[in-house]
Amino acid sequence: MEQSKDWEPRIVGFLCKWCSYAGADLAGISRKKYPANIRIIRVPCSGRVDPLFILKALRLGFDGVLVSGCHPGDCHYQSGNYRARRRFAVTKKMLESMGVDPRRVQASWVSASEGGKFVEVVNKLINDIKEIGPNELFSDGKQQPVKTDS
Amino acid sequence: MENSNQSKLIAEAKARLQKGKVQRVIGFAQGSLRFVTTPLITSDVDELEKLVINPFIANNLSNYLVGLEGKTAITAKGCDSRSIVSLIQDNKIKREDVVILGIPCTGIIDLAKIEKLTGRDRDEIEDINREGDKVTVNIGEDKKEFAAKEVLYDNCLHCDVPTPEEYDVLIGSPVNPKPEAEEVKLKELKEKLPEERWRFWQEEFSRCIRCYACRNVCPSCFCQRCFVEESQPQWLAPAPHWQDNLLFQVVRSIHLAGRCTDCGECERACPVNIPLRSLTREMYDIVDDLFDCQAGSDKDTPPLMTAYEDEEAEGLFL
Amino acid sequence: MSIIKKIAKKDLGKLLDEWSRDFTVFSPSKASGIARMEVWQGGEASFLDWYRNTVIPPKDIVLPLLEEMFSFSKSEEGYKLETPPADDSKRLIFGIRPCDARALSIIDMTYGDGYQDNYYMQRRNNTLLVGLGCTNPYDSCFCTALGGNPHDTTTMDVMLTDIGDGLLAEAVSQTGKELLQKTAELKAATEEDRTKAENVKQAAEKKISRNIETEGIAEKLRACFEDKEFWQQTAAKCVGCGICTLLCPTCYCFDISDEKTEDGGVRVRSLDSCSFSVYTKMPMENPRSEKWQRVRNRVCHKYEYYPMLFDTIACTGCGRCIRLCPVNWDITQTLNSLPG
Repeated sequence: MEQSKDWEPRIVGFLCKWCSYAGADLAGISRKKYPANIRIIRVPCSGRVDPLFILKALRLGFDGVLVSGCHPGDCHYQSGNYRARRRFAVTKKMLESMGVDPRRVQASWVSASEGGKFVEVVNKLINDIKEIGPNELFSDGKQQPVKTDS
Repeated sequence: MENSNQSKLIAEAKARLQKGKVQRVIGFAQGSLRFVTTPLITSDVDELEKLVINPFIANNLSNYLVGLEGKTAITAKGCDSRSIVSLIQDNKIKREDVVILGIPCTGIIDLAKIEKLTGRDRDEIEDINREGDKVTVNIGEDKKEFAAKEVLYDNCLHCDVPTPEEYDVLIGSPVNPKPEAEEVKLKELKEKLPEERWRFWQEEFSRCIRCYACRNVCPSCFCQRCFVEESQPQWLAPAPHWQDNLLFQVVRSIHLAGRCTDCGECERACPVNIPLRSLTREMYDIVDDLFDCQAGSDKDTPPLMTAYEDEEAEGLFL
Repeated sequence: MSIIKKIAKKDLGKLLDEWSRDFTVFSPSKASGIARMEVWQGGEASFLDWYRNTVIPPKDIVLPLLEEMFSFSKSEEGYKLETPPADDSKRLIFGIRPCDARALSIIDMTYGDGYQDNYYMQRRNNTLLVGLGCTNPYDSCFCTALGGNPHDTTTMDVMLTDIGDGLLAEAVSQTGKELLQKTAELKAATEEDRTKAENVKQAAEKKISRNIETEGIAEKLRACFEDKEFWQQTAAKCVGCGICTLLCPTCYCFDISDEKTEDGGVRVRSLDSCSFSVYTKMPMENPRSEKWQRVRNRVCHKYEYYPMLFDTIACTGCGRCIRLCPVNWDITQTLNSLPG
């Protein structure tokens, strides 16, 4: 599928309020640049993220999804990120088995002091998505030509 | 053999109901169509004469257990008893509120397979009999014989729990699991390219009419308010666009991670022949692979998604 | 004068090709993975080998599962509302069974009562029905209990009877007569053909094995409306899915929803089911929040309320609800065991 040279990936990120969102904030305060492709939704905890959100984002046409939370053991609510870990793992595996490129949906542990890591994570995700191409999963009607070089 | 088990089942059910040990009995009765059974849910002792055990007792009756008052005696094949355990794990029912009348099972006959092999519909067939590994089908003067593995449901061919592991009384001799047959449909799906797989599902879900039979017959789908019924926000369009049909089923499979016991009811109930087990079985294998989880195998194990280890699945996180 | 012709089965493919020049012809097909009416694509009429009835009822051609009502958008010039172009294309449904055709006449009573549903009526009025009588009814069929029969011609334009090597074609309506007259090379039916057809019709009717006592059924239902215990017991095994309603040829309830598009939105109508718990959910309460109330409503709507309004039981005995129900809930058993 030919994508226009002007195409910019649209990514949504679910960041936990206590760690990852603060980390993103720190990146901004430290004047560390990261691309505006990512739209951030703040959640109280990565454990708030229902796999439904990830699927809905793909349904809406977002090219990529990021879920980010506190490091295991550091969750503000003790065990929220452990739940997120299991849920995210099965979601990613399930999407992969259905033929979705697993790089579309990524997760990370970013703490409040890791502004630099947040920038790295976002850049990696955007580069991956640029490689994969726009999300045509739920586009209507016409059958996609089968890519044979993946 | 099955007749004597049937009498035993009726006797056990009657004894429990008459003595007031349970408020009701849930089992199988002869249906209103040939080779079809139907759930029997009754508090009337006389009705228990209708209980049957035969190769067509397909339903997963544990679906009816949630929300019942008092105690219930329930007929359960191996797969059904795992669903009961899964419900206990999720704290939807208490172990002491169910009396499990376990039925070791050698597999349920899939009428669709028989119809396909004989080229005849169910009501044109006179008799179907199973003896050991052979199934004979009588159509008028004609008599056709099939190996059991040609006509049993797919998930019966892969059953590793033919004998209920959780029960109060076992009716019949235990059955040993047979060596696993190959999951042909799943293998074919895995061999497709990723893009082909997604478009395969697009085509299958173009037929979906959103009857929600898959969800409603599933014992593990017990949410009072399903996400499809939310309108603020509205996650899915109520209209049956293939995109939303597909979204519904994928999210449902993920929500059931660690709960689905691969009983196959969703695929059996689907009126438009969508191969749902190819999705649900995938999740079943994923949780086994990642977390060594077999849903419904131990009533004291916490549900998969409420538990965690200190370190696991780390390779998937940045 | 009645027009009665004979169509040789081996010529059926060519006939459908010929009709396809003037109509979009629909015939039974399993190409999608499930038996339903699909646009005729040419070739052999192999559906005659397996076709007893489709899973998806033919009503989906005039009342689709999903249709766009109109679209709306906003631009610099202002708001715009666009209705889809008028769909007055000519359709022909080949092989519709008498129960399914009669069901359309039952839906007509609602969709044409006072306010005309233009979306439905437009298609309905431009769709020709070439019916095929049933020689081999299912054991779940009970059309005869409801005033129909396997060769009933209600609302048909042409009625076909399978006489072995061919199909006897009888014109029923003026439109059907014109169709048969226009169609080239249809032989007139012989006396022998007609006798064969008569025998086939009588034999088919005798094969129906299911029955309901419909005498006084509306009164009986009214009398047991408050019998909560009866209805709770009846509804106990129902799982509350929408199979019986969504695949019923006489069901017509719909849901309307608005969906966003990039520059506006589209209003969509889709079939709905009274079996769903949210069907009567309203901000203050849900009068049918419990399953037994919904089961009672379904039975009473078909066999009591519809007769009150239109003097017709809203059921034609096609048996899909019995065949396709995952728990074998059987409306004929319920109706034959009403208390009192």
